[in-house]
Amino acid sequence: MPTTHAPQSIRSTSLRIGLEVHVELATRTKMFTRTPNVAHPDYFDAAPNTLVDPVVAALPGALPVMNRAAVEMAMMVGLALGCEIARFSKWDRKNYFYPDLPKGYQISQYDLPICGDGAVDIPGADGSTKRIGIIRAHLEEDTGKLGHELPGGRRYEGSLVDLNRAGTPLLEIVTAPDFGCADDVVTFAQELRHLCRFLGVTEGIMQRGHMRFEPNINVVIRTEDGREFATPIVEVKNLNSFRSLRGAIEFEARRQVEAWRQDGRTMGPGAKSTRGWDDVREVTVLQREKEDAHDYRYFPEPDLVPVVVDEELLAAVRGRLPELPIARRARYRDEFGLDPREASALVEERADAEFFEACVESLIELRGSSVPSSQGQLVAKFLLNAGAKRANERGTTLAGLLVAPRRVAELLLLREEGIVGPQAADAVFGLLCEADGDPRAIAEANGLVQVRDDASLDAWVTEAMAAHPKAVEDLRAGKSSAIGRIVGHVMKLSGGTADAKAVDAKIREKV
Amino acid sequence: MSAIAPLLRDVTALRAAIAERRVGVLEVVDHCIDVIGRRDGELRALREVYPERARRRADAIDAALAGRRDDPSAAGLLAGVPVVVKDNIVTDYGTTTCGSRMLDGYASPYSATVIERLEEAGAIVLGKANCDEFAMGSSTESCAFGATRNPWDLSRVPGGSSGGSAVAIAAGYAALALGSETGGSVRQPAALCGVVGIKPSYGRVSRYGLVAFGSSLDQVGPFAHSVGGAAMLLQVIAGRDERDSTSADLGVPDYLQALDDRVESLVVGVPVQYRSDANDPRVAQAIEQAVEVYRGLGAEIVEIDLPLTDYGISTYYVIAPAEASSNLARFDGIRYGHRAVPEPGEVLEDLYARSRAEGFGPEVQRRIMLGTYMLSAGYYEAYYRRALQVRRLIAQEYARAFERCHVLLGPTAPTPAFPLGGKADPLSMYLCDVYTVNTNIAGACAISIPCGLADEGGRRLPIGLHLQARPFDESVLLRAARMFERATDWSELVVAPSA
Repeated sequence: MPTTHAPQSIRSTSLRIGLEVHVELATRTKMFTRTPNVAHPDYFDAAPNTLVDPVVAALPGALPVMNRAAVEMAMMVGLALGCEIARFSKWDRKNYFYPDLPKGYQISQYDLPICGDGAVDIPGADGSTKRIGIIRAHLEEDTGKLGHELPGGRRYEGSLVDLNRAGTPLLEIVTAPDFGCADDVVTFAQELRHLCRFLGVTEGIMQRGHMRFEPNINVVIRTEDGREFATPIVEVKNLNSFRSLRGAIEFEARRQVEAWRQDGRTMGPGAKSTRGWDDVREVTVLQREKEDAHDYRYFPEPDLVPVVVDEELLAAVRGRLPELPIARRARYRDEFGLDPREASALVEERADAEFFEACVESLIELRGSSVPSSQGQLVAKFLLNAGAKRANERGTTLAGLLVAPRRVAELLLLREEGIVGPQAADAVFGLLCEADGDPRAIAEANGLVQVRDDASLDAWVTEAMAAHPKAVEDLRAGKSSAIGRIVGHVMKLSGGTADAKAVDAKIREKV
Repeated sequence: MSAIAPLLRDVTALRAAIAERRVGVLEVVDHCIDVIGRRDGELRALREVYPERARRRADAIDAALAGRRDDPSAAGLLAGVPVVVKDNIVTDYGTTTCGSRMLDGYASPYSATVIERLEEAGAIVLGKANCDEFAMGSSTESCAFGATRNPWDLSRVPGGSSGGSAVAIAAGYAALALGSETGGSVRQPAALCGVVGIKPSYGRVSRYGLVAFGSSLDQVGPFAHSVGGAAMLLQVIAGRDERDSTSADLGVPDYLQALDDRVESLVVGVPVQYRSDANDPRVAQAIEQAVEVYRGLGAEIVEIDLPLTDYGISTYYVIAPAEASSNLARFDGIRYGHRAVPEPGEVLEDLYARSRAEGFGPEVQRRIMLGTYMLSAGYYEAYYRRALQVRRLIAQEYARAFERCHVLLGPTAPTPAFPLGGKADPLSMYLCDVYTVNTNIAGACAISIPCGLADEGGRRLPIGLHLQARPFDESVLLRAARMFERATDWSELVVAPSA
């Protein structure tokens, strides 16, 4: 073994990772034909080979026709990633034989992709902001699937082809090798998923393969004598979870250093290889060396006309672009004073963020004039407690509860005015999830209006103090925390309608 | 001889006879099926005939016409007109084989756009016409189901690849026929069989349902005995189709209305390269006579220089096989078509290789290999990219030529029909298309019309006059062709011997 790269001579190593991400776009129909798309939520459970037509099955004489919706989705993602949108891009054929590829070629974009040259900032694992370059994003069509199981799970001797996925629009996003650790790659992948969901271009359900990751990984090794060695690049194919993405990178980081210690091979022409991820053993497995790589014989697709994006279309797509998650989270912090956890929770779903903002607007409007920050905090805390609880119970989102933002504002105002207490407000919200109505009327009808009249309070407090003589004693001895037990009892007696502040004052007065 | 035979040569007269109920559609169809039955044993122009379906449709149209004596046009422009269709245009009845073992017995679940348009217009599809395998050839000999014969001389080829369609018109099987072109496959057999054939501008006619050979060159084209008949068929099939992105989003002019109007101040361009020494002298003479006919009609004759003419074949034989190598990849034996019987120990690659080796004939295999080679890493730049550059130059040369003239005139093919097996060397076969390929490369439109008969040992062989016009200028092309047709009697003289 050459001594130049002996193990003891390594001073430091650093990872260099670039990422390719395939996103299945949730258009209603496929990339090049009007047959429904399996990546659309309405069709994900279609029986095998039911989303097939002459174009999908590549019958003789069938021709592709471009789906405009897919192009516009691709442009939207491109704009969100800060990419240049090509005014002119075209389609190419990537030729190879495989039973899941009906035409014997995949329609893709080779040298003129729809999106090029962008960048996104992500929060790095080291606390800094990391800028990740986007080299390109291009459209293509997905392949079918090969399986060996009959419906019902029975094993089949030969191979079975399901063409439901064939022709699903795929957006392939390629980053620059700007990542230095697995954490940052996973953060980027999660942010990208969030972004794509936010834009409504995919459901982003990993189990259904809506997103697949292919990291390109190598290690730069610095030796004690000041020399640098870069290990050969490995591309890990088809990772469909954040866990496997992280696992594959961390495994390669170790394996490549070990391999270099063994054979000293470094990066160079023909030294790139492709590996797969074994989810059970948590290791990568060699699939093929690049030396026997396919020659895909790319050439321009003669059945399709080039994609020409004019200013009008670009402006229209740009106009549909919502405020993106990263920017929105920052604004929630700055404008409403939310903490990062609150901001993230509200921005998780675009509809929730929009619902939240509508509630804040309603509240400001009802109140006449006010500082947005305090209103925002009020609404955020309420939605993330009373709202999130109901959403969880019902397996939906905040917006999915279908409560009108104005009702939320009215309710918060009632609470602020002391007409309902916090517990009652929560209960009124629960009732609003069942049926719309005026919060005040609901509170009254259900006996949830806060009681502040002296006689009632006096009676409850007297009864509660009698029931907790020890607490009264403690309180007299200066242990102010003991008051909680007495207040709790009053609340129980009043069915939650007693005004907690008034109760507190009354107890102290009596003691 | 039946009164129907001459009507098949004059679609306008046939339509009038049907509309006025002088002849029943069923009578027409029966006549055609009778002729096919008597002649096709030796001519082998059709691979498949649909007599029952044709008769059912004939009955239906007869019934519809009987009910609408006041408005016969309601039944469609081609009501009751019998048509044959090249075997590479899919129909949702019968089979479509492209003349290949690969697709023997293949039944398409859908019909091509051109078939839909034909049938909506009332045409009756009688059967599928033989062609060279996957339209690759110029003689209709490479068909897996046997070679088609030329009705003028059974020892000779009808041209190709749409040979069966041309013979169906020449031998009086039908009034109209559809063929397809990639480099001359309608015009050359039209010339060799003595009928009219049109190559429409690229994008004029939908390719949806035409089995692809060279996608950037392919077009469906009509055959008829006269310019008027071919124009009528073009009228029906032309126009934008949402299912073919390359179909032009342009209105289709009324080709029939002004067909008999002369082209004002017609300028006919005669490329010097078309007056080649390689032309058969009888062909050369017929073309010079055609020039004189136009001169006599008052046309201005100008000499045109098309120096890139000779590069057409080389350019074509890069682009067409390259596209074909990819287009024919779908014939892999997985979903449909011929599949080899697996042998023990064989893997997926063997299944592909053997299915394709058994399913495709030698010419198809040759072109797939050529195309695959030319698209391969390291060769793409030298062949395919270079060919695309030359293609652009040829299109520019055409554009410049059409600044000086309305139509380019020359022979459709350098020789009349040649003997079966006469061009066993692929290269000599490829050179049959020397005058036609550049039309496809430039996306222009063209027509071949009969302009003479060559004496060949006591037999007569038709000669075709080739006119080309700028892309989407079919109106001028057809009117210029019609001027020649009216001024000469070739349309009457060039009728193939009936037995």
